[in-house]
Amino acid sequence: MNILLFGNPNCGKSTLFNLLTGLRQKVGNFPGVTVEKKTGTFSIHEITHTLIDYPGVYSIYPKSQEELVVYDAIKELQSSAEPRVGVVVVDASNFERGLFLFSQLADLDIPMVLVINMIDLAGRNGIAIQLDALKNELKHTPIAVMNARVGLGKNRLLDALAQQIKEQKSENYFGINPTIFEPEAFEQQEADATKRQQSIRKLAERVVVKKEVQAQKSKLDWWLTHPVFGYVIFALILLVIFQAVFTLSSYPMDGIEWVFQQIAMHFAAWVPEGVFQDLLCSGILPGISGVLVFIPQIGLLFFFIALLEDSGYLARAVFLMDRLVRPFGMNGRSVVPLLSSMACAIPGIMATRGIPNAKERLITLFVAPLMSCSARIPVYTLLISVVIPKQRFLGVVQLQGLVLFALYLLGIISALGIAFVMHRMLKQTTRSIYIMEIPDFKPPHWRNIFSTIFEKIKVFTMEAGVIILALSIVIWALSNYGPTEERANAVRELKAEATYAKANAKERNQSEAAVLLEHSYLGKFGKTIEPAIAPLGYDWKIGIAIGSSFLAREVFVGTLSTIYAHDEASGNFRLREKLMREMHPDGSKKFTLASGVSLMVFYVFALQCLSTMAVARRETGSWKIPILQLVLYATLAYTAAWCCFQIF
Amino acid sequence: MLRRYKTVPELKSRESAEAISFVDPALACKLTAMGVRPGAVIEMVRKAPFGKAYYVKVDGIRMALREEEAVSILLEL
Repeated sequence: MNILLFGNPNCGKSTLFNLLTGLRQKVGNFPGVTVEKKTGTFSIHEITHTLIDYPGVYSIYPKSQEELVVYDAIKELQSSAEPRVGVVVVDASNFERGLFLFSQLADLDIPMVLVINMIDLAGRNGIAIQLDALKNELKHTPIAVMNARVGLGKNRLLDALAQQIKEQKSENYFGINPTIFEPEAFEQQEADATKRQQSIRKLAERVVVKKEVQAQKSKLDWWLTHPVFGYVIFALILLVIFQAVFTLSSYPMDGIEWVFQQIAMHFAAWVPEGVFQDLLCSGILPGISGVLVFIPQIGLLFFFIALLEDSGYLARAVFLMDRLVRPFGMNGRSVVPLLSSMACAIPGIMATRGIPNAKERLITLFVAPLMSCSARIPVYTLLISVVIPKQRFLGVVQLQGLVLFALYLLGIISALGIAFVMHRMLKQTTRSIYIMEIPDFKPPHWRNIFSTIFEKIKVFTMEAGVIILALSIVIWALSNYGPTEERANAVRELKAEATYAKANAKERNQSEAAVLLEHSYLGKFGKTIEPAIAPLGYDWKIGIAIGSSFLAREVFVGTLSTIYAHDEASGNFRLREKLMREMHPDGSKKFTLASGVSLMVFYVFALQCLSTMAVARRETGSWKIPILQLVLYATLAYTAAWCCFQIF
Repeated sequence: MLRRYKTVPELKSRESAEAISFVDPALACKLTAMGVRPGAVIEMVRKAPFGKAYYVKVDGIRMALREEEAVSILLEL
């Protein structure tokens, strides 16, 4: 049977969901919108039931997109005759508020179970709920008192559920309104709400016993929202998160890549040479590795986000940051996703889920890839070392470092600029009321945190990972196959060269690889687009490198070094020196300040990352947004690169 | 003309006042559902350093409001 889980925000609903379902969870979207729908299974007396988690709301009437999901779901429930049981989780310290939602649902003839949660906290706040008295009032609703964080009362809940699943009795206590109003009927809603609250207040007077307790003044709150210390603390926390996603994750990432290289090497020894070995060892295995390599970053980022959220701190940081990013059509919650995009846009885009407003979320997700991610660093450092002289600017600052900094800054400024334009252009479809409850501080709950990490990793690998794998195999195939005869001829010509005869085995292999890449489909692509990219100062070799770097931007460097392996004049130089010596037919340098800067600026803007596109597709539910990003950022990159090539 | 009310942004830090009514019907619905009714005492805990956001405490519930929401809550003088 379907068990529907409702409750106010911060009532401990997701803790209870995790407690019941463990890892038997599935995450999807509600139809038509990108509001997360979590379903899970659990069993009572060996009968399996499905638990559906709805977004936390105060009322069934919507004031935001997330709340609209709940409204639509309830409307649908009303028209279906399928048996179900609703569970409303009530924070014992906010009994009346929770019961308000309960009363709305109970009146709609849904058999209910009432969970009174966080009973320990209520006790500390001097609030006691007389269970017998409450049972006397709500005669048809089984009630379970719980502290879901420690698992207390789980059996009581299962018993209550078993009873209601069998009896299917609706509560007739309130009897205020058996229908559901239109979302815009504010007057009716309010009149209804007033009646409910009067009824609930009377009930609470008979059931809730309040004792005055000495209110503990929390100094922590004062520090965390302080106009100076608040920002300092948040900046330090961001620094830790950034360091972790940027640096700490590189160890497991290197580990994953190493393991897959080993596996590929072993397979290469076992599997007979040929197409299948190629596909397996150079196509599929590196492709899987290219998906799994994101897991450490995703895991670490969501560890911190879940920790901040679960402890109650994030709401304070959002309060502090909101004003700063609002002019750009974003939300205080956009700050962590944007910042983590400077390590990698994949976890950054996934983290935009936390932004409640649809428009603010879309803007954040859209501009996140402009933040310079760590995969751009190898491209930047190579090009800087080639075209920017090692000297000091104004006698103090290293010019090379300054250029790198400028590239980062360019990314941030253009992200904010595009966000600003989108903010002006996009119309808000529904008015959203921004009221954010600031929860109590509580020690983080490890089961919640690890369940979030597990779920994010699962969603990434299962939904985005498959697309990334498929596309990376396509790019691999394009760079490894080409017209057979042409390739054979090219290799024959190479072998006839004088330098080839003199070269050792390793050099021979390298130049063969270069010639094969030149005559692959990707090589053809590079040569075809050469006229288009010539105005930017690039030749077909750079065209190939740009094409192949769709896998990941740092592949640019690897592809260039493959291409340049075959170059008679270059001999045994490192890639950097080869690029510096590369000449046009007319004898002028190919990598000049102009073409180098143009290429770097191209990489600031271009959405050269199919993993980003796959994740954006998964997060927005269609290819529309990622394709728009691809086209818009390619246009921007082209224009900006052209300007740079003309100026320098 | 003399106003008979003030709004949330006019509260000083640590100052509190009783809510008379909510101007915006959608907001009124939301606040009512959250347990905030006319008559509730609203205390300003902190104003965001760059303005336009307010951290208030209403009958023991802490919440953050943006400017649009804050100005539509009318308070006793």
